[in-house]
Amino acid sequence: MRIEDVVCSFCGCLCDDLVVEVEGTRVINVENGCTLANEKFMGDHRLEAPIRRSGGKWEKVSYEEAIAETAGILLDADRPLLYGWSGTYGEAQTIGVHLAEVLGAVIDNTSTVCHGPSIMAIQEVGHPGCTLGQVKNRADVVVYWGANPVDAHPRHMSRYTTYCDGFFVKNAFRERKVVVVDVRETESSQVADEFVKVNPGGDYAVLSALRAIVRGKRDIIPPDVEGVSREQLFRVADMCIAAKFGAFFFGVGLTMAPGKNKNIRNAIELTEELNRHTKFTISPMRGHWNVYGSNEVFTWITGYPFAVDFARGIAFYNPGETTSVDILRRGECDACLVVASDPGAHFPRACAEHLARIPTVQIDPHVNVTTHLSRIQIPVAVAGIDAEGTAYRMDGVPIRTRKLFQGRYPDDLEVLEKIYAIVKEAKG
Amino acid sequence: MKFLFNTGRTIRQGSYVERKNAPSYREEASAIRMNPVDMFEMMVEEGDRVRVKSSTGEVVMKARADPGLVRGRVFCSLGPYANHIVSPETHGTGMPDFKVTEVEIEPTQDPVSSVAMLMGQCGGVPYED
Amino acid sequence: MTPGLLIKNAFVIDPLSGVKGEIMDIAISNGRIVDEAPRDAEVIDAAGCLTLPGGIDSHSHVCGTKVNFGRYMSPEDMRAGRTARKGVMHVTSGYSVPTTFGNSYRYSTMGYTTVLEGAMAPLEARHTHEEFTATPHQDMLANTLFDGNWSIMEAVREKDVKRAAAIVAWTLAAVRGFAIKLTNPGGTEAWGWGEDVHSIQDLVPHFEVTPAEIIGTMIRANEMLNLPHSVHLHCNNLGVPGNFRTTLDTIDLVPDLNKERQSLYLTHVQFHSYGGSTWRDICSRSEDIARAVNGKPQVVMDMGQIMFGRTTTMTADGPMEFKLFMLHHNKWSNHDVELETGSGIIPVYYGRKSLVNCVMWSIGLELALLAKNPWQCLLSTDSPNGAPFVKYPEIIALLMSQRLRESERKMIDPRTEHFVPLFAIERELDWYEIAVMTRAAQAKALGITRIGKGYLAPGAEADVAIYPISPDQVDPSVDYQQVMAAFSRSRFTIKRGRVVARDGEVIVEGANSTIWSKAHVPPEYDMGTDPEFTKKFEQYYTVRMRNYPVQDVYLPRGLRIDTEASL
Repeated sequence: MRIEDVVCSFCGCLCDDLVVEVEGTRVINVENGCTLANEKFMGDHRLEAPIRRSGGKWEKVSYEEAIAETAGILLDADRPLLYGWSGTYGEAQTIGVHLAEVLGAVIDNTSTVCHGPSIMAIQEVGHPGCTLGQVKNRADVVVYWGANPVDAHPRHMSRYTTYCDGFFVKNAFRERKVVVVDVRETESSQVADEFVKVNPGGDYAVLSALRAIVRGKRDIIPPDVEGVSREQLFRVADMCIAAKFGAFFFGVGLTMAPGKNKNIRNAIELTEELNRHTKFTISPMRGHWNVYGSNEVFTWITGYPFAVDFARGIAFYNPGETTSVDILRRGECDACLVVASDPGAHFPRACAEHLARIPTVQIDPHVNVTTHLSRIQIPVAVAGIDAEGTAYRMDGVPIRTRKLFQGRYPDDLEVLEKIYAIVKEAKG
Repeated sequence: MKFLFNTGRTIRQGSYVERKNAPSYREEASAIRMNPVDMFEMMVEEGDRVRVKSSTGEVVMKARADPGLVRGRVFCSLGPYANHIVSPETHGTGMPDFKVTEVEIEPTQDPVSSVAMLMGQCGGVPYED
Repeated sequence: MTPGLLIKNAFVIDPLSGVKGEIMDIAISNGRIVDEAPRDAEVIDAAGCLTLPGGIDSHSHVCGTKVNFGRYMSPEDMRAGRTARKGVMHVTSGYSVPTTFGNSYRYSTMGYTTVLEGAMAPLEARHTHEEFTATPHQDMLANTLFDGNWSIMEAVREKDVKRAAAIVAWTLAAVRGFAIKLTNPGGTEAWGWGEDVHSIQDLVPHFEVTPAEIIGTMIRANEMLNLPHSVHLHCNNLGVPGNFRTTLDTIDLVPDLNKERQSLYLTHVQFHSYGGSTWRDICSRSEDIARAVNGKPQVVMDMGQIMFGRTTTMTADGPMEFKLFMLHHNKWSNHDVELETGSGIIPVYYGRKSLVNCVMWSIGLELALLAKNPWQCLLSTDSPNGAPFVKYPEIIALLMSQRLRESERKMIDPRTEHFVPLFAIERELDWYEIAVMTRAAQAKALGITRIGKGYLAPGAEADVAIYPISPDQVDPSVDYQQVMAAFSRSRFTIKRGRVVARDGEVIVEGANSTIWSKAHVPPEYDMGTDPEFTKKFEQYYTVRMRNYPVQDVYLPRGLRIDTEASL
């Protein structure tokens, strides 16, 4: 069976033009997808059945047992952490938030180690953004800052920017200038019209220099700013000011580097400054598929995009305190439910060690690094393949994924609803 | 020798995320990219094993030449190997310093651990599928 | 379904049924008002209680992309209003942009049972519907944005009203929208280049159409589709000193095409009634606007009252928000939506010591007091733009009491009176007029009386608000504090025959409906197969046409209003 307009469930681009061929419960061919999409749809490396660690060994258990034991672990905990959520769809995330609410738990999503600092910056200065089609149809200057789309969002350039013609930009490759700012050369920097190589940790200074230039203060710029020549800074600033429509896209190269949220704040303020001259927008390159959806769902239910602590009954938010890495580093949580993400792989070792120390339960279709740290893992259907639901693209556009076939796994929503029902019953 | 250790996404790491027990994932996640001149000075060749030490910990990786890197800087795909040496300090932001860890690198004959073994060292119990 | 309810001895004002204050019983069965209650019906004694149809808000920002971004960017606002989980109530956060449950509970405890979201971008409609589902105690409707729609502007340029109608019909059905919303028509497209339009005769860049042409075409297209509501317009030049001329020019455009209701709904008119030419000489031109509206029964407006204090402004009017940002230098968010519209958000503080804010505050009240016909001026704050909706009771009190207005006069910038006529107006609205302006007129203007909204006669939806105040014992002119208290907290709010809130607390899990419009067009007007229209998706949108429509699963209790188009 050939299914058209399939929505990819790998990265935040949410490409929705894939053509997928399905045979029984396997995808046998993918058209229009990037390498990551092909691996995602064609790969078939799922965990067979729920597993439980007993002593130094692993054993298979039934779904009922795994679910009941998970609920028990959460009910026993004084300070449970519910982490992940980016790889699943909004309907499941919603149950996750309500589960946290009933438990008085902390709930956090993968933005915490991705664009959490961007969110903190947006909370300080706002966010002048747009949907990706606005860039595709209008932009004559695109700047990727601390982002490597060729590796992380392989079709971003062909669907929305460098290679994508739009209504007002009939020949994007000729008419659209692309600037890449990074600390190292990447495949993305190689296709740029202008590559700005910054010293590690130098982004804040370079952004400040550009702001000063846009404000008309060229005379205060030293010959070299964190490895970037004054001439190049002038050239880039002039390119931005002369743009009819400019778009910044920034990646974790800014959010994880020294300065973190302050880097993003500076980039946003540069964008605001440019809007006094022309039209400019800025957008984070959200990485993990529906991470933006987890921010949206968390926000409309709790008021906060990530790191929400229900311990006091109300929703409380304080990044640095209620963020997962900090909670784990301090050894504060006494149980952890991981859904649709892999903190074992993506958190510093000290956090992995604490996950191994406490009862950690993982709901995920695949064996991953966190598996080895868990007590229980419950395999589920893969969102966008054998489970469907809502996902939010990196620019906030919500798209409903398709279910390509009926598989043999329950989906996230089903499993979470069962856990929620047990917990709610017990908590009254 | 001292280096500045950077992490980030790579397309191969992304391709293998759903089979992290597989050798292909280990191969990518444990590869440390270095400037070829630095490698030459350390007498390390493509594929040789190196010990990467930070103030937080140490891990064995495999060297891979990358002329796009400036001397003194190394790059590794994000994942459990890199995270073995990244500090959990977030400076009140929730976000560790994934981009700028100071490390010392030396050649070694020790093997590269599997992901499962690495997690075993963290107190986990390896699950072999 | 509960067996039924009998509300006894209520003091009822039900304008649409011609009830202007009578002690009577209301019988409810199966979610509807009936002549006689079932024998085992639960009895509510409403003696001494003002009893009205459930409140209807015809213009509020509560759900969707921009509203949620208002929350996302404002932890300070989230902290400013938070409650813990209690009984069936979820945790809530937020003061000016509460979480969805926060909105729903607060509206419900104020007696509101139906709310229209003022602005939904079609491309992001799914988000609005997700939040509607999480706003469980009100029936929800979505104004759908067409102000910068490329296909519409092309039809306008071709002077093809029928094609514009066909595009509206396809889009409303695809996104489960209720009505046509135009926000700064043409201006949001111009904002794609950082520009704006400054009169209804300005040309939109590239598309070569004027706001006047867009508005005129859409009014006619709307009536061809026989949609329940009229075009819902946020005029050009919002918030600009001297903008009353643009508003008057716009009112001049409006034909009289519908016998049942207005042909144009002008929203948050306070923001569009400014005289002067700068922020220094801004003054009220509410008299001119009210005179124009009084002379044009085919126009209905809502107040867009501002109230002093902190709030968040959010609108599809991206260029306006940027201007506001240039004034306030506070944080600014913007979100342009490809081929369709824009949006912007900034937090503001309306101060009693700001002359401009005092003039704005006066204008909203003046509009309501100078409009002769309460059916033509609805109570609103364009929540949260003028103030969060929890301020409605205070506005009611201000409209009912000159004494309260006089006491406010002492608190505000003393120069205000030189710029506004407010303090020369003696009129005090009565209970009936308030009932009109907060539910009956909304139901009529939205065209939802046909589905039983806004009245309490047999056959109507049993949405009832019972307030702990007795109109025959209270003089609102003097006892305005009691008026505020009563409208802040209903004794009972009944939604579809079920008591959902009592004395300030929500007591059941909600189950709302989403009301949407489907205009049936002849096959030759089906845009789903139109080559030019589908080309927009093939070439310019970043979402495939098949992935664009909102699936039924997003409207667990969708309520469709069908119309036959006359094309």
